[in-house]
Amino acid sequence: MEIVLKTQNLSKFFGGLKALDNVNVSIQKNKITLIVGPNGSGKTTLINTVSGFYKADSGKVFFDGKDITNKPPHEISKLGITRTFQIPQPLKKLTVLENLLVFYNYGTELIEAVNGKWKKKESDATEKAFKILEFLKLDHLWDVQAQNLSGGQLKLLEIGRALMRESKLFIADEPVAGVNPVLAHEILSRFLKLKDEMSFLLVEHRLDIVLKYTDYIYVMANGKIIAEGREEVFEDPKVVEVYLSAKG
Amino acid sequence: MEILFSFALWFGLYAIVALSLNLEYGFAGIPNFGKALAVLVGAISVGGIMNRILAYFYGISEDNVISLSSSVRGIVNDAILSDPVLGIVIFLSSITLASLLGAVAGVIFILPSVKLKQDYLAITLLAISEVVFLVTNYSTEIVGGYYGVSVPDVFTFSGNYRNTFFILVILLFAFLVYFFVERISNSPFGRVLKAMRENEDVLKASGKNIIVLRIKAAAIGSAIASIAGALFSLYSLNVIASSFTRVEWTFYPFLMVLLGGAGNNKGVLAGVAVFVFAKIFLTMFKFEITALLNLPFEAIWFEYMLFGILMFLVLYYKPEGIFKEKPIFTKPIKKVVYKISGAKNN
Ligand SMILES: Nc1ncnc2c1ncn2[C@@H]1O[C@H](COP(=O)(O)OP(=O)(O)O)[C@@H](O)[C@H]1O
Ligand SMILES: [Mg+2]
Repeated sequence: MEIVLKTQNLSKFFGGLKALDNVNVSIQKNKITLIVGPNGSGKTTLINTVSGFYKADSGKVFFDGKDITNKPPHEISKLGITRTFQIPQPLKKLTVLENLLVFYNYGTELIEAVNGKWKKKESDATEKAFKILEFLKLDHLWDVQAQNLSGGQLKLLEIGRALMRESKLFIADEPVAGVNPVLAHEILSRFLKLKDEMSFLLVEHRLDIVLKYTDYIYVMANGKIIAEGREEVFEDPKVVEVYLSAKG
Repeated sequence: MEILFSFALWFGLYAIVALSLNLEYGFAGIPNFGKALAVLVGAISVGGIMNRILAYFYGISEDNVISLSSSVRGIVNDAILSDPVLGIVIFLSSITLASLLGAVAGVIFILPSVKLKQDYLAITLLAISEVVFLVTNYSTEIVGGYYGVSVPDVFTFSGNYRNTFFILVILLFAFLVYFFVERISNSPFGRVLKAMRENEDVLKASGKNIIVLRIKAAAIGSAIASIAGALFSLYSLNVIASSFTRVEWTFYPFLMVLLGGAGNNKGVLAGVAVFVFAKIFLTMFKFEITALLNLPFEAIWFEYMLFGILMFLVLYYKPEGIFKEKPIFTKPIKKVVYKISGAKNN
């Protein structure tokens, strides 16, 4: 069993709040790993810290065996970790198609802008983008500015952009929140197919939809990992208690 | 006729500066409140550096740069009269020098603030620009400060048609700059700049280094604006630091960009045209206007006020400007779209 991403006693504080408290997770290669936990348990903070958007206060992050702790986000992205945002972050004035194209790896953009050698790449990028848009059923909106999309469509745009990149690890923060169940299943089936080439780390509340696609589960509460394993984690008394108290 | 010349001259110069600002602000979202600085660097390249280089070549030495520049002008003008090619060489070297120094200055001056959020970036650039302006204005060492310096007439061989010829050259440069910014902005690079303007986190997630992108945009923008400063100095045959105020070379270009349409190069040209027309009109009738409105202050203040109000109105009622920004639909995109829509209809 190969590990693609590993955290070692990763901690992150916001003032007195321990948003991540000695978190140890090992994300397996070519698997779909799910992180669940009540709101505010630190799932998004974990994604932000792993992807370089937050600086860790202590602990380490390893990707493909390399220490990537506190590297800047663009470097981590270049290494092959692509993350989506829980709250969609559209490039508002850009069209849906352009939002996807920005995530395509063109390489040396400025030099090619001057010598005009970008046209072949642009063509490939556009073909790829349209395939993704068709799959996400956004293709009819390709020339609409992202600011005119609905909340659900924006979630899809997040996924579409991330699919434009050649990533080794795909981290998605609540990818199917607000997406209709049929399409949600289609998206997760797609992840399942892509599993041969890459690994997935998902945060998702809609267990009814996501569970049958997952290989491994971590449960978080108050910045800590309180349980891990397969579906049996939901019978763990600690997990039951956390979910009961969160609901009550 | 004179009005037409004046329009063409200012349209050309301001088009260069406004297009460069549009690349920085309209596309990349860098609020370069230090735009005047890049223009001043172009003037310094001509008045402060080119003069000294020429003095070195001709073995001229004087106590200070002011008298040095008069001697240089005398000797170099004579030389150009007998050899026009020399004038063109000096002209092209000055422009090259200005754009190189402009690029370097753009990088150096954005470095301290390159990590800051956009609003802090704006203030820092404004402050740096003011400091350099004041130093250049008060120190007589750089370009003669208050007294200014002379500049050789690189096109002196064109005799009576000198100004006409020079204005045409300036328009040619404006056209080249337009061609250049259109080329680099209608490309994946232009799209990435726009993306940086819209949301930096997204761009980081896509693997782009924001700092490097900002530096690139500032370098290109400053190099271009610096060319305008050099052209203006070579045209007016002197450099006086006090001509490079933030009102005329930062605020006005912002007004033109916002008026025409940030992120749209054609729109910016329209904005420049409208602005220059209004400014010439105001200058022509300034005494009439002062008398008519019975203004208790000088007409120049009236101009500042009017353009200030115009800026407010544009920002409030038409923030997208006359011409809206357009998506970057390149030829390859159009081809793919055409192919897909063709396949669907079959
Ligand atoms: N940027 C921030 N500044 C301050 N507190 C934060 C920040 N981000 C998250 N938090 C806090 O950290 C805790 C974990 O939040 P988060 O990671 O978003 O939880 P989850 O994604 O599991 O719902 C919450 O208490 C939240 O308020
Ligand atoms: Mg969250």
